[in-house]
Amino acid sequence: MRAALSRHGPFLLSLSGGLALWEIVGRNTSEAFMAPLSETLVRLVQLTEAGKLVPQVESSLALFVTGFVAALVVGMPLGLLFARVRLLREAFDVYIMILYATPMVALIPFILSLMGFGFAPKVLVVFLFAVFPILYNTVEGARSIRPELIEVARSYRSSEWALWREVMVPYTLPFVMTGVRQAIGRALVGMIAAEFFLSATGLGALIMTASQSFDTAGVFAAILIIGVLGVGLMHIGTMLEAHFARWRH
Amino acid sequence: MAVAALPSTNTAARRAFGPTTARIVAGFVILAFWEIVARLAAPDFVAKPSGIIAAIPSVITSPSFLEAAWITIAATAEGLVAALILGTALGLFVGRSVIADRALRLWVNSFNAMPMIVALPLMSLWFGYTSAARFATIIFAAIFAVIINAAEGAQSVPKDYLEVAGSFRASRLRVLFEVVVPASTPYLLAGLRLAAGRALIGAVVAEFFLAIPGLGYFILFHSRTYHQNEAFVAVLLLAGFGVGCDVLITAATRRYLPWYRRDERTD
Repeated sequence: MRAALSRHGPFLLSLSGGLALWEIVGRNTSEAFMAPLSETLVRLVQLTEAGKLVPQVESSLALFVTGFVAALVVGMPLGLLFARVRLLREAFDVYIMILYATPMVALIPFILSLMGFGFAPKVLVVFLFAVFPILYNTVEGARSIRPELIEVARSYRSSEWALWREVMVPYTLPFVMTGVRQAIGRALVGMIAAEFFLSATGLGALIMTASQSFDTAGVFAAILIIGVLGVGLMHIGTMLEAHFARWRH
Repeated sequence: MAVAALPSTNTAARRAFGPTTARIVAGFVILAFWEIVARLAAPDFVAKPSGIIAAIPSVITSPSFLEAAWITIAATAEGLVAALILGTALGLFVGRSVIADRALRLWVNSFNAMPMIVALPLMSLWFGYTSAARFATIIFAAIFAVIINAAEGAQSVPKDYLEVAGSFRASRLRVLFEVVVPASTPYLLAGLRLAAGRALIGAVVAEFFLAIPGLGYFILFHSRTYHQNEAFVAVLLLAGFGVGCDVLITAATRRYLPWYRRDERTD
Protein backbone atom coordinates (compact mmCIF):
# COMPACT_ATOMS: atom_id res chain seq x y z
CA MET A 1 0.00 0.00 0.00
CA ARG A 2 2.69 2.38 1.03
CA ALA A 3 4.92 1.47 -1.89
CA ALA A 4 2.02 1.95 -4.28
CA LEU A 5 1.28 5.33 -2.72
CA SER A 6 4.82 6.62 -3.01
CA ARG A 7 5.00 5.40 -6.59
CA HIS A 8 1.69 6.79 -7.76
CA GLY A 9 1.46 9.61 -5.21
CA PRO A 10 3.11 12.36 -7.28
CA PHE A 11 1.11 11.38 -10.33
CA LEU A 12 -2.19 11.48 -8.46
CA LEU A 13 -1.24 14.72 -6.74
CA SER A 14 -0.32 16.37 -10.02
CA LEU A 15 -3.50 15.09 -11.66
CA SER A 16 -5.81 16.26 -8.89
CA GLY A 17 -3.92 19.56 -8.56
CA GLY A 18 -4.36 20.32 -12.24
CA LEU A 19 -8.01 19.35 -12.22
CA ALA A 20 -8.62 21.48 -9.11
CA LEU A 21 -6.93 24.42 -10.83
CA TRP A 22 -9.20 23.92 -13.84
CA GLU A 23 -12.26 23.97 -11.56
CA ILE A 24 -11.15 27.09 -9.68
CA VAL A 25 -10.16 29.07 -12.78
CA GLY A 26 -13.35 27.97 -14.53
CA ARG A 27 -15.53 29.15 -11.67
CA ASN A 28 -13.85 32.52 -11.48
CA THR A 29 -13.90 33.46 -15.15
CA SER A 30 -16.73 34.42 -17.42
CA GLU A 31 -18.87 31.52 -18.59
CA ALA A 32 -18.26 32.54 -22.18
CA PHE A 33 -14.52 31.93 -21.80
CA MET A 34 -14.14 28.83 -19.76
CA ALA A 35 -16.18 26.06 -18.22
CA PRO A 36 -15.10 24.52 -14.92
CA LEU A 37 -14.34 20.81 -14.77
CA SER A 38 -17.61 19.98 -13.02
CA GLU A 39 -19.72 21.60 -15.73
CA THR A 40 -17.62 19.97 -18.43
CA LEU A 41 -18.20 16.55 -16.89
CA VAL A 42 -21.93 17.19 -16.55
CA ARG A 43 -22.02 18.22 -20.20
CA LEU A 44 -20.07 15.09 -21.11
CA VAL A 45 -22.66 12.92 -19.39
CA GLN A 46 -25.48 14.85 -21.10
CA LEU A 47 -23.85 14.41 -24.50
CA THR A 48 -23.40 10.71 -23.89
CA GLU A 49 -26.98 10.26 -22.74
CA ALA A 50 -28.27 12.20 -25.72
CA GLY A 51 -26.39 9.73 -27.90
CA LYS A 52 -24.23 12.47 -29.41
CA LEU A 53 -20.83 11.50 -28.08
CA VAL A 54 -20.32 7.82 -28.87
CA PRO A 55 -21.20 7.99 -32.60
CA GLN A 56 -18.90 10.99 -33.03
CA VAL A 57 -16.01 9.23 -31.29
CA GLU A 58 -16.60 6.19 -33.49
CA SER A 59 -16.70 8.32 -36.61
CA SER A 60 -13.42 10.06 -35.70
CA LEU A 61 -11.73 6.78 -34.83
CA ALA A 62 -12.88 5.20 -38.10
CA LEU A 63 -11.31 8.11 -39.98
CA PHE A 64 -8.11 7.93 -37.95
CA VAL A 65 -7.70 4.17 -38.27
CA THR A 66 -8.48 4.06 -42.01
CA GLY A 67 -6.02 6.83 -42.86
CA PHE A 68 -3.37 5.53 -40.50
CA VAL A 69 -3.54 1.93 -41.70
CA ALA A 70 -3.36 3.14 -45.31
CA ALA A 71 -0.24 5.16 -44.41
CA LEU A 72 1.33 2.14 -42.76
CA VAL A 73 0.47 -0.23 -45.60
CA VAL A 74 1.92 2.16 -48.18
CA GLY A 75 4.73 3.73 -46.17
CA MET A 76 6.44 0.72 -44.72
CA PRO A 77 6.88 -1.49 -47.83
CA LEU A 78 7.73 1.54 -49.94
CA GLY A 79 10.31 2.64 -47.37
CA LEU A 80 11.87 -0.82 -47.33
CA LEU A 81 11.95 -0.93 -51.11
CA PHE A 82 13.68 2.45 -51.19
CA ALA A 83 16.07 1.18 -48.57
CA ARG A 84 16.94 -1.98 -50.47
CA VAL A 85 17.28 -0.46 -53.90
CA ARG A 86 19.94 2.11 -53.45
CA LEU A 87 19.34 3.88 -56.72
CA LEU A 88 15.69 4.49 -55.86
CA ARG A 89 16.64 5.68 -52.39
CA GLU A 90 19.20 8.15 -53.63
CA ALA A 91 16.80 9.36 -56.28
CA PHE A 92 13.86 9.96 -53.97
CA ASP A 93 15.26 10.68 -50.50
CA VAL A 94 15.35 14.45 -51.02
CA TYR A 95 11.72 14.49 -52.07
CA ILE A 96 10.66 12.37 -49.12
CA MET A 97 12.50 14.75 -46.82
CA ILE A 98 10.83 17.77 -48.45
CA LEU A 99 7.37 16.25 -48.14
CA TYR A 100 8.15 15.25 -44.56
CA ALA A 101 8.85 18.90 -43.72
CA THR A 102 5.97 20.38 -45.74
CA PRO A 103 2.94 21.47 -43.72
CA MET A 104 0.32 19.15 -45.25
CA VAL A 105 -2.55 21.31 -43.96
CA ALA A 106 -1.81 23.67 -46.83
CA LEU A 107 -3.10 21.01 -49.24
CA ILE A 108 -6.54 20.75 -47.65
CA PRO A 109 -8.19 23.44 -49.84
CA PHE A 110 -6.97 21.61 -52.97
CA ILE A 111 -8.27 18.28 -51.71
CA LEU A 112 -11.59 19.95 -50.92
CA SER A 113 -12.07 21.37 -54.39
CA LEU A 114 -10.94 18.14 -56.06
CA MET A 115 -12.69 15.52 -53.98
CA GLY A 116 -15.46 17.35 -52.17
CA PHE A 117 -16.97 16.45 -48.85
CA GLY A 118 -17.06 12.65 -48.61
CA PHE A 119 -15.16 10.20 -46.44
CA ALA A 120 -12.39 9.58 -49.00
CA PRO A 121 -10.92 13.12 -49.03
CA LYS A 122 -10.74 13.07 -45.23
CA VAL A 123 -8.96 9.74 -45.29
CA LEU A 124 -6.55 11.22 -47.82
CA VAL A 125 -5.78 14.10 -45.43
CA VAL A 126 -5.04 11.71 -42.52
CA PHE A 127 -3.00 9.54 -44.90
CA LEU A 128 -0.90 12.50 -46.10
CA PHE A 129 -0.24 13.62 -42.53
CA ALA A 130 0.83 10.12 -41.45
CA VAL A 131 2.64 8.56 -44.40
CA PHE A 132 5.75 10.72 -44.58
CA PRO A 133 6.98 10.20 -41.03
CA ILE A 134 6.68 6.44 -41.60
CA LEU A 135 8.36 6.58 -44.98
CA TYR A 136 11.09 8.93 -43.78
CA ASN A 137 11.97 6.88 -40.71
CA THR A 138 11.86 3.56 -42.56
CA VAL A 139 14.28 4.83 -45.20
CA GLU A 140 16.44 6.40 -42.49
CA GLY A 141 16.49 3.11 -40.56
CA ALA A 142 17.26 0.94 -43.54
CA ARG A 143 19.99 3.34 -44.59
CA SER A 144 21.73 2.61 -41.31
CA ILE A 145 21.79 -1.18 -41.80
CA ARG A 146 25.41 -2.14 -41.50
CA PRO A 147 26.65 -3.29 -44.90
CA GLU A 148 28.48 -6.17 -43.22
CA LEU A 149 25.15 -7.71 -42.25
CA ILE A 150 24.07 -7.84 -45.86
CA GLU A 151 27.52 -8.98 -46.92
CA VAL A 152 27.46 -11.89 -44.48
CA ALA A 153 23.95 -12.83 -45.56
CA ARG A 154 25.13 -12.71 -49.15
CA SER A 155 28.20 -14.84 -48.56
CA TYR A 156 25.93 -17.51 -47.07
CA ARG A 157 24.00 -17.33 -50.33
CA SER A 158 20.95 -15.95 -48.63
CA SER A 159 17.98 -15.59 -50.94
CA GLU A 160 16.49 -12.13 -51.45
CA TRP A 161 13.39 -13.19 -49.49
CA ALA A 162 15.48 -14.46 -46.56
CA LEU A 163 17.55 -11.29 -46.62
CA TRP A 164 14.40 -9.20 -46.23
CA ARG A 165 12.95 -11.45 -43.56
CA GLU A 166 16.08 -11.97 -41.49
CA VAL A 167 17.97 -8.69 -41.91
CA MET A 168 16.08 -5.83 -43.49
CA VAL A 169 12.76 -6.03 -41.67
CA PRO A 170 14.01 -6.84 -38.14
CA TYR A 171 16.72 -4.21 -38.37
CA THR A 172 14.42 -1.50 -39.67
CA LEU A 173 11.44 -2.21 -37.42
CA PRO A 174 12.54 -0.01 -34.48
CA PHE A 175 12.93 2.93 -36.84
CA VAL A 176 9.55 2.19 -38.38
CA MET A 177 8.11 2.32 -34.87
CA THR A 178 9.62 5.78 -34.33
CA GLY A 179 7.87 6.75 -37.55
CA VAL A 180 4.66 5.16 -36.28
CA ARG A 181 4.80 7.19 -33.08
CA GLN A 182 5.34 10.41 -35.00
CA ALA A 183 2.64 9.44 -37.47
CA ILE A 184 0.11 8.86 -34.66
CA GLY A 185 0.60 12.44 -33.49
CA ARG A 186 0.36 13.86 -36.98
CA ALA A 187 -2.58 11.71 -38.01
CA LEU A 188 -4.51 13.07 -35.03
CA VAL A 189 -3.86 16.61 -36.23
CA GLY A 190 -4.89 15.52 -39.72
CA MET A 191 -8.06 13.95 -38.37
CA ILE A 192 -9.18 17.13 -36.61
CA ALA A 193 -8.09 19.33 -39.54
CA ALA A 194 -10.12 17.18 -41.94
CA GLU A 195 -13.14 17.34 -39.65
CA PHE A 196 -12.82 21.11 -39.30
CA PHE A 197 -12.16 22.08 -42.89
CA LEU A 198 -13.75 19.36 -45.02
CA SER A 199 -17.19 18.14 -44.00
CA ALA A 200 -17.77 18.55 -40.27
CA THR A 201 -18.07 15.12 -38.68
CA GLY A 202 -16.89 13.33 -35.56
CA LEU A 203 -15.24 15.07 -32.66
CA GLY A 204 -14.23 18.01 -34.83
CA ALA A 205 -17.90 18.65 -35.63
CA LEU A 206 -18.74 18.32 -31.94
CA ILE A 207 -16.30 21.13 -31.09
CA MET A 208 -17.49 23.29 -33.98
CA THR A 209 -21.18 23.06 -33.19
CA ALA A 210 -20.54 23.65 -29.49
CA SER A 211 -18.40 26.73 -30.15
CA GLN A 212 -20.87 28.13 -32.67
CA SER A 213 -23.64 27.97 -30.07
CA PHE A 214 -21.28 29.43 -27.42
CA ASP A 215 -21.57 26.24 -25.41
CA THR A 216 -18.20 26.51 -23.69
CA ALA A 217 -18.76 23.41 -21.58
CA GLY A 218 -19.45 21.47 -24.76
CA VAL A 219 -16.21 22.71 -26.33
CA PHE A 220 -14.25 21.68 -23.26
CA ALA A 221 -16.01 18.31 -23.14
CA ALA A 222 -15.00 17.57 -26.74
CA ILE A 223 -11.44 18.79 -26.15
CA LEU A 224 -11.20 16.60 -23.05
CA ILE A 225 -12.20 13.53 -25.06
CA ILE A 226 -9.73 14.37 -27.83
CA GLY A 227 -7.03 14.93 -25.22
CA VAL A 228 -7.69 11.55 -23.59
CA LEU A 229 -7.72 9.94 -27.03
CA GLY A 230 -4.45 11.66 -27.94
CA VAL A 231 -2.72 10.65 -24.72
CA GLY A 232 -3.94 7.06 -25.10
CA LEU A 233 -2.84 6.73 -28.73
CA MET A 234 0.49 8.40 -27.97
CA HIS A 235 1.00 5.95 -25.14
CA ILE A 236 0.46 3.06 -27.52
CA GLY A 237 3.00 4.61 -29.90
CA THR A 238 5.61 5.08 -27.19
CA MET A 239 5.07 1.52 -25.94
CA LEU A 240 5.43 0.10 -29.44
CA GLU A 241 8.60 2.08 -29.92
CA ALA A 242 10.06 1.01 -26.58
CA HIS A 243 9.10 -2.61 -27.24
CA PHE A 244 10.84 -2.79 -30.59
CA ALA A 245 13.79 -0.62 -29.57
CA ARG A 246 14.94 -2.91 -26.77
CA TRP A 247 18.04 -3.99 -28.60
CA ARG A 248 18.71 -0.77 -30.50
CA HIS A 249 22.00 0.68 -29.29
CA MET B 1 17.04 -3.25 -61.42
CA ALA B 2 20.06 -2.08 -59.54
CA VAL B 3 19.92 -4.07 -56.33
CA ALA B 4 23.05 -2.56 -54.90
CA ALA B 5 23.10 -2.34 -51.15
CA LEU B 6 26.85 -2.80 -50.94
CA PRO B 7 29.31 -0.04 -51.66
CA SER B 8 31.46 -2.56 -53.54
CA THR B 9 28.84 -3.77 -55.99
CA ASN B 10 28.86 -0.91 -58.41
CA THR B 11 26.40 -1.84 -61.08
CA ALA B 12 26.37 -0.28 -64.49
CA ALA B 13 23.23 1.62 -63.63
CA ARG B 14 24.94 3.14 -60.64
CA ARG B 15 27.96 4.22 -62.59
CA ALA B 16 25.77 5.86 -65.18
CA PHE B 17 23.68 7.77 -62.64
CA GLY B 18 25.33 9.46 -59.72
CA PRO B 19 23.00 10.49 -56.89
CA THR B 20 22.59 13.99 -58.32
CA THR B 21 21.58 12.75 -61.74
CA ALA B 22 19.26 10.22 -60.16
CA ARG B 23 17.65 12.93 -58.06
CA ILE B 24 17.10 15.21 -61.02
CA VAL B 25 15.65 12.38 -63.08
CA ALA B 26 13.38 11.41 -60.19
CA GLY B 27 12.24 15.02 -59.86
CA PHE B 28 11.31 15.13 -63.52
CA VAL B 29 9.52 11.79 -63.25
CA ILE B 30 7.42 13.09 -60.34
CA LEU B 31 6.56 16.32 -62.16
CA ALA B 32 5.80 14.55 -65.44
CA PHE B 33 3.56 12.04 -63.68
CA TRP B 34 1.67 14.85 -61.93
CA GLU B 35 1.33 16.82 -65.16
CA ILE B 36 0.03 13.85 -67.16
CA VAL B 37 -2.45 12.72 -64.50
CA ALA B 38 -3.71 16.27 -64.04
CA ARG B 39 -4.16 16.74 -67.78
CA LEU B 40 -5.85 13.43 -68.41
CA ALA B 41 -7.95 12.86 -65.34
CA ALA B 42 -8.62 16.18 -63.64
CA PRO B 43 -10.61 19.31 -64.44
CA ASP B 44 -8.83 22.24 -66.04
CA PHE B 45 -8.50 24.38 -62.91
CA VAL B 46 -6.45 21.76 -61.04
CA ALA B 47 -2.88 22.79 -60.23
CA LYS B 48 -0.26 21.22 -62.47
CA PRO B 49 3.49 21.82 -62.75
CA SER B 50 3.34 23.73 -66.06
CA GLY B 51 0.62 26.00 -64.73
CA ILE B 52 2.42 26.56 -61.43
CA ILE B 53 5.69 27.44 -63.12
CA ALA B 54 3.85 29.84 -65.42
CA ALA B 55 2.15 31.41 -62.40
CA ILE B 56 5.32 31.91 -60.35
CA PRO B 57 6.54 35.23 -61.86
CA SER B 58 3.23 37.04 -61.57
CA VAL B 59 2.48 35.66 -58.09
CA ILE B 60 5.81 36.39 -56.45
CA THR B 61 5.75 39.96 -57.70
CA SER B 62 2.15 40.62 -56.70
CA PRO B 63 1.79 42.82 -53.61
CA SER B 64 -1.02 40.69 -52.18
CA PHE B 65 1.18 37.58 -52.16
CA LEU B 66 4.20 39.38 -50.73
CA GLU B 67 2.08 40.88 -48.01
CA ALA B 68 0.47 37.54 -47.16
CA ALA B 69 3.88 35.84 -47.08
CA TRP B 70 5.33 38.52 -44.86
CA ILE B 71 2.38 38.38 -42.45
CA THR B 72 2.49 34.61 -42.06
CA ILE B 73 6.24 34.30 -41.74
CA ALA B 74 6.48 37.21 -39.32
CA ALA B 75 3.61 35.80 -37.24
CA THR B 76 5.23 32.37 -37.18
CA ALA B 77 8.58 33.84 -36.17
CA GLU B 78 6.98 35.99 -33.47
CA GLY B 79 5.02 33.09 -32.02
CA LEU B 80 8.04 30.84 -32.23
CA VAL B 81 10.26 33.28 -30.36
CA ALA B 82 7.64 33.70 -27.64
CA ALA B 83 7.21 29.92 -27.37
CA LEU B 84 10.96 29.47 -27.29
CA ILE B 85 11.55 31.95 -24.47
CA LEU B 86 8.63 30.81 -22.35
CA GLY B 87 9.12 27.15 -23.16
CA THR B 88 12.85 27.11 -22.48
CA ALA B 89 12.37 28.84 -19.13
CA LEU B 90 9.62 26.43 -18.12
CA GLY B 91 11.46 23.43 -19.50
CA LEU B 92 14.71 24.18 -17.69
CA PHE B 93 12.70 24.69 -14.51
CA VAL B 94 10.95 21.34 -14.96
CA GLY B 95 14.26 19.70 -15.77
CA ARG B 96 16.15 21.10 -12.78
CA SER B 97 13.48 20.92 -10.09
CA VAL B 98 12.14 17.56 -8.98
CA ILE B 99 8.99 19.14 -7.59
CA ALA B 100 8.26 21.05 -10.79
CA ASP B 101 8.92 17.89 -12.77
CA ARG B 102 6.45 15.88 -10.72
CA ALA B 103 3.83 18.62 -10.73
CA LEU B 104 3.99 19.56 -14.41
CA ARG B 105 5.32 16.58 -16.37
CA LEU B 106 1.96 14.86 -16.66
CA TRP B 107 0.30 17.99 -17.99
CA VAL B 108 3.08 18.94 -20.39
CA ASN B 109 3.07 15.44 -21.88
CA SER B 110 -0.70 15.39 -22.14
CA PHE B 111 -0.90 18.75 -23.86
CA ASN B 112 1.90 17.69 -26.17
CA ALA B 113 -0.02 14.58 -27.21
CA MET B 114 -3.11 16.65 -27.98
CA PRO B 115 -3.58 17.78 -31.59
CA MET B 116 -3.12 21.49 -30.98
CA ILE B 117 -5.62 22.62 -33.54
CA VAL B 118 -8.48 21.60 -31.23
CA ALA B 119 -7.73 24.85 -29.41
CA LEU B 120 -8.74 26.95 -32.42
CA PRO B 121 -12.43 27.35 -31.58
CA LEU B 122 -11.45 28.32 -28.04
CA MET B 123 -8.88 30.79 -29.29
CA SER B 124 -11.52 32.37 -31.51
CA LEU B 125 -13.84 32.60 -28.50
CA TRP B 126 -11.13 34.16 -26.35
CA PHE B 127 -9.46 36.49 -28.82
CA GLY B 128 -12.04 36.88 -31.55
CA TYR B 129 -11.25 36.42 -35.23
CA THR B 130 -8.00 38.36 -34.94
CA SER B 131 -4.28 37.93 -35.36
CA ALA B 132 -4.05 37.63 -31.56
CA ALA B 133 -5.89 34.32 -31.85
CA ARG B 134 -3.32 33.20 -34.43
CA PHE B 135 -0.48 34.27 -32.16
CA ALA B 136 -1.94 32.27 -29.28
CA THR B 137 -2.49 29.23 -31.54
CA ILE B 138 1.12 29.33 -32.73
CA ILE B 139 2.43 29.52 -29.17
CA PHE B 140 0.16 26.72 -28.05
CA ALA B 141 1.24 24.60 -31.03
CA ALA B 142 4.96 25.12 -30.47
CA ILE B 143 5.54 25.48 -26.75
CA PHE B 144 5.12 21.92 -25.48
CA ALA B 145 7.76 20.52 -27.80
CA VAL B 146 10.13 23.21 -26.51
CA ILE B 147 9.35 22.49 -22.86
CA ILE B 148 9.83 18.74 -23.25
CA ASN B 149 13.14 19.06 -25.04
CA ALA B 150 14.48 21.75 -22.69
CA ALA B 151 13.55 19.59 -19.69
CA GLU B 152 15.22 16.57 -21.23
CA GLY B 153 18.30 18.68 -21.94
CA ALA B 154 18.46 20.04 -18.42
CA GLN B 155 18.19 16.53 -17.01
CA SER B 156 20.94 15.25 -19.25
CA VAL B 157 23.58 17.67 -17.91
CA PRO B 158 26.41 15.47 -16.58
CA LYS B 159 26.50 15.40 -12.77
CA ASP B 160 30.27 16.07 -12.81
CA TYR B 161 29.75 19.51 -14.37
CA LEU B 162 27.28 20.46 -11.67
CA GLU B 163 29.54 19.13 -8.94
CA VAL B 164 32.53 21.09 -10.20
CA ALA B 165 30.42 24.24 -10.48
CA GLY B 166 29.14 23.56 -6.97
CA SER B 167 32.57 23.08 -5.47
CA PHE B 168 33.64 26.42 -6.94
CA ARG B 169 30.63 27.94 -5.18
CA ALA B 170 29.06 29.11 -8.41
CA SER B 171 25.75 30.92 -7.91
CA ARG B 172 22.59 29.20 -9.10
CA LEU B 173 22.17 31.76 -11.86
CA ARG B 174 25.68 31.21 -13.17
CA VAL B 175 25.23 27.45 -13.02
CA LEU B 176 22.07 27.88 -15.07
CA PHE B 177 23.55 30.12 -17.74
CA GLU B 178 27.08 28.77 -17.88
CA VAL B 179 26.54 25.06 -17.33
CA VAL B 180 22.95 23.97 -17.82
CA VAL B 181 22.03 26.02 -20.89
CA PRO B 182 25.20 25.28 -22.89
CA ALA B 183 25.04 21.59 -22.01
CA SER B 184 21.45 21.32 -23.17
CA THR B 185 21.90 23.25 -26.45
CA PRO B 186 21.49 20.17 -28.66
CA TYR B 187 18.17 19.41 -27.00
CA LEU B 188 17.08 23.02 -27.34
CA LEU B 189 17.89 22.87 -31.04
CA ALA B 190 15.97 19.61 -31.45
CA GLY B 191 13.03 21.27 -29.72
CA LEU B 192 13.31 24.32 -31.94
CA ARG B 193 13.33 22.17 -35.06
CA LEU B 194 10.16 20.46 -34.01
CA ALA B 195 8.53 23.65 -32.75
CA ALA B 196 9.22 25.50 -36.02
CA GLY B 197 7.30 22.92 -38.03
CA ARG B 198 4.40 22.96 -35.62
CA ALA B 199 4.32 26.76 -35.44
CA LEU B 200 4.02 26.95 -39.21
CA ILE B 201 1.15 24.45 -39.23
CA GLY B 202 -0.48 26.43 -36.42
CA ALA B 203 -0.23 29.66 -38.41
CA VAL B 204 -1.72 28.18 -41.59
CA VAL B 205 -4.52 26.38 -39.76
CA ALA B 206 -5.35 29.53 -37.79
CA GLU B 207 -5.59 31.52 -41.02
CA PHE B 208 -7.92 28.91 -42.53
CA PHE B 209 -10.08 28.90 -39.47
CA LEU B 210 -10.12 32.59 -38.62
CA ALA B 211 -10.07 33.82 -42.22
CA ILE B 212 -7.46 36.46 -41.41
CA PRO B 213 -4.88 37.63 -43.98
CA GLY B 214 -1.80 35.48 -44.56
CA LEU B 215 -0.55 32.63 -46.73
CA GLY B 216 -3.15 30.21 -45.40
CA TYR B 217 -5.93 32.56 -46.39
CA PHE B 218 -4.19 33.28 -49.71
CA ILE B 219 -4.29 29.54 -50.47
CA LEU B 220 -7.89 29.21 -49.34
CA PHE B 221 -9.08 32.20 -51.37
CA HIS B 222 -7.27 31.33 -54.59
CA SER B 223 -8.15 27.65 -54.55
CA ARG B 224 -11.80 28.53 -53.97
CA THR B 225 -11.81 30.91 -56.92
CA TYR B 226 -10.30 28.25 -59.19
CA HIS B 227 -6.82 29.76 -59.22
CA GLN B 228 -5.13 26.64 -57.93
CA ASN B 229 -1.84 27.27 -59.71
CA GLU B 230 -1.49 30.62 -57.95
CA ALA B 231 -2.49 29.05 -54.65
CA PHE B 232 0.11 26.34 -55.08
CA VAL B 233 2.91 28.88 -55.33
CA ALA B 234 2.09 29.73 -51.72
CA VAL B 235 2.28 26.03 -50.80
CA LEU B 236 5.75 25.95 -52.35
CA LEU B 237 6.81 28.88 -50.20
CA LEU B 238 5.45 27.17 -47.07
CA ALA B 239 7.26 23.96 -47.99
CA GLY B 240 10.42 25.98 -48.58
CA PHE B 241 10.09 27.62 -45.20
CA GLY B 242 9.53 24.24 -43.50
CA VAL B 243 12.45 22.60 -45.25
CA GLY B 244 14.64 25.68 -44.72
CA CYS B 245 14.12 25.64 -40.94
CA ASP B 246 14.82 21.92 -40.85
CA VAL B 247 17.99 22.11 -42.93
CA LEU B 248 19.29 25.17 -41.09
CA ILE B 249 18.87 23.65 -37.65
CA THR B 250 20.29 20.28 -38.67
CA ALA B 251 23.27 22.01 -40.27
CA ALA B 252 23.82 24.16 -37.17
CA THR B 253 23.76 21.05 -34.99
CA ARG B 254 26.30 19.31 -37.22
CA ARG B 255 28.53 22.34 -37.48
CA TYR B 256 28.59 23.55 -33.89
CA LEU B 257 27.73 20.40 -31.96
CA PRO B 258 29.34 17.68 -34.03
CA TRP B 259 29.65 15.33 -31.05
CA TYR B 260 25.92 15.26 -30.60
CA ARG B 261 24.28 12.56 -32.65
CA ARG B 262 20.69 13.52 -33.14
CA ASP B 263 18.56 10.52 -32.39
CA GLU B 264 15.19 10.16 -34.03
CA ARG B 265 13.09 11.23 -31.09
CA THR B 266 11.96 14.43 -32.66
CA ASP B 267 8.24 14.38 -33.09
